Amino acid sequence: MIRLTDITKSYPVAGEALIVLDRINLHVEKGEFIAIMGPSGSGKSTLMNIIGCLDQPTSGTYELNGELISEYDDKQLAKIRNQSIGFVFQQFHLLPRMTALENVELPLIYAGVKKAERMRRAKEALAKVGLSDRMEHLPNELSGGQKQRVAIARAIVNEPDIILADEPTGALDSKTGKQIMELFTLLNEEGTTVIVVTHEAEVASYAKRTIFVRDGKVTSAERVVDQELLEKIVEKETFDS
Amino acid sequence: MNVMENIKMAISSLRAHKMRSLLTMLGIIIGVGSVIAVVAIGQGGEAVLKSQFAGEANTLSLFYMPTEEELQANDSRIYEDPFTQEDIELLMTIPEVKKVVASSTTSTNVRFREDQTDSAVVGMNHAYMDVYPLDIKEGRNLIAAEYLSGARVGIMTTNVVEELTGETEAPFVGEIVYVNGQPIEVVGVAEEETGLFSFGAKTIYVPMKTWQTIFAKKTITELSIQTETVDDLQIAGEKATALLNEKYKKEDAYQTLNMEEIAEGIGQVTRIMTIIISSIAGVSLLVGGIGVMNIMLVSVTERTREIGLRMSIGATRGQILFQFLVEAMTLTLIGGLIGIALGTGLSFVVSHFAGWPPLISLPVIIGGVLFSMLIGVVFGMLPANKAASLHPIDALRYE
Repeated sequence: MIRLTDITKSYPVAGEALIVLDRINLHVEKGEFIAIMGPSGSGKSTLMNIIGCLDQPTSGTYELNGELISEYDDKQLAKIRNQSIGFVFQQFHLLPRMTALENVELPLIYAGVKKAERMRRAKEALAKVGLSDRMEHLPNELSGGQKQRVAIARAIVNEPDIILADEPTGALDSKTGKQIMELFTLLNEEGTTVIVVTHEAEVASYAKRTIFVRDGKVTSAERVVDQELLEKIVEKETFDS
Repeated sequence: MNVMENIKMAISSLRAHKMRSLLTMLGIIIGVGSVIAVVAIGQGGEAVLKSQFAGEANTLSLFYMPTEEELQANDSRIYEDPFTQEDIELLMTIPEVKKVVASSTTSTNVRFREDQTDSAVVGMNHAYMDVYPLDIKEGRNLIAAEYLSGARVGIMTTNVVEELTGETEAPFVGEIVYVNGQPIEVVGVAEEETGLFSFGAKTIYVPMKTWQTIFAKKTITELSIQTETVDDLQIAGEKATALLNEKYKKEDAYQTLNMEEIAEGIGQVTRIMTIIISSIAGVSLLVGGIGVMNIMLVSVTERTREIGLRMSIGATRGQILFQFLVEAMTLTLIGGLIGIALGTGLSFVVSHFAGWPPLISLPVIIGGVLFSMLIGVVFGMLPANKAASLHPIDALRYE
């Protein structure tokens, strides 16, 4: 489903190319639940941005559902972001003047869906995240966990292939964070591919596979199920960097 | 993503900063408002001036312009009373002419018992009464039979009555007065005429035939033609003078007031005024537009994260550009509409004190609406373009 081949990303800094991602090869199957871990500056965010079609690689190819995304222009990328990818951010990024329902409707507006259909699908998405009774509330009337659930409803409303979550529990307490991760697990069980970027081992433990990024390289891509083992790996990776 | 969605979004974002939006609109409001007001007041004034020259009720005066020789010959009969009853019938043959208004005026001595005064005596035909109705205070108007028979009846203005009796409210209907030594029965008393070119003159109105008998003349001093619409006036006037000049074998002796020359003169004044006000409005709109651009740039910076979010959920650069253009346009359009409302109000107030009707013209209002939208597009382009060219990642991370 996702196939990254020799993906390199570099920025020109003071006349020299600063390599952020170095010939990354990654394959993600449909329905996987993946955690991307790595210390800050490792390039994990850049990797996520490329997977999320927010950024284009300097070289290498990115295939999504058999389509060569790395050749797409701005407009085509916008369409992929709208149709195939659902973003969840650490800071929620809800529009403050819009109600929960209106925030969830937003991707459908850009998809050109009619008002009545939009309402129906947005309500459905909010029901799925358990917020049917908070639809008319503004973001500042919601708790952190509720905000993040609105954001998840917004991410799933267009029925994307992939949910990309960047530190989704970073601004939440551990109990709420747990609930959010359980929600991702549920969505994954329904068939959606979930990719979570995190530096918390606990968050990564929900994933079926964890990828470590360090110095622009994928250093391990083994399946981690054991919590203790995972924590050890994280510690090791963190001390090493 | 349709236009309505964008307009709704724009209004909600403008409402979030009511004070700021209003202050930003101020330049547009003043600019559009002043144009609307000035044009309305100017056109009202122009219409009043034109109606004074064209006469009320679409009338146009004909007059006789004597040649140099005729003036030197000093034969006043030719040019003092240049029209006859046959001329009226001739002019009625012109299709555009609805009525021919005839009047003869002489100033003469009027006597009532022991008192006497000087007054204008106007002999008039029936059409005159229709076009310039008298405000009868007491008694009645002249009737058709009296015009036809040349009955010795007349209507006086109140100031004549006052001169003759020394009282303002004396009943006078039924009294006999001697006009130029001949008896006339007063059947009505009318209010003095008021208007731009009236000076409260003392006047006695009698039927044309009666006037001709009193003064032993067969001629008519003034003729004017009335048409159905004001647009026919010019062509009817041209036909009338052509007929009269042909009949009397004159070259351009019979003339009408040249409407074009008058219109040209009024137009000149209006144009100068329009240029002055337009430049003031132009500067105001320019400053207003820059204000809009400034506040939109601020808005784009403030909403960088929103722009990043919108891009990440699928907004194209074109859609972001359009969103901010619509927002700028909504801002200037609302400003323009407020300006139109204020300008209209102002022109009503000014016109009320100036004493003429404001002419709010639809083209000017439509022009105002379109122009304010255009300002929004022009000055919104730079901020909108700035928003659209943001990189989604940088925009999302913007603090």
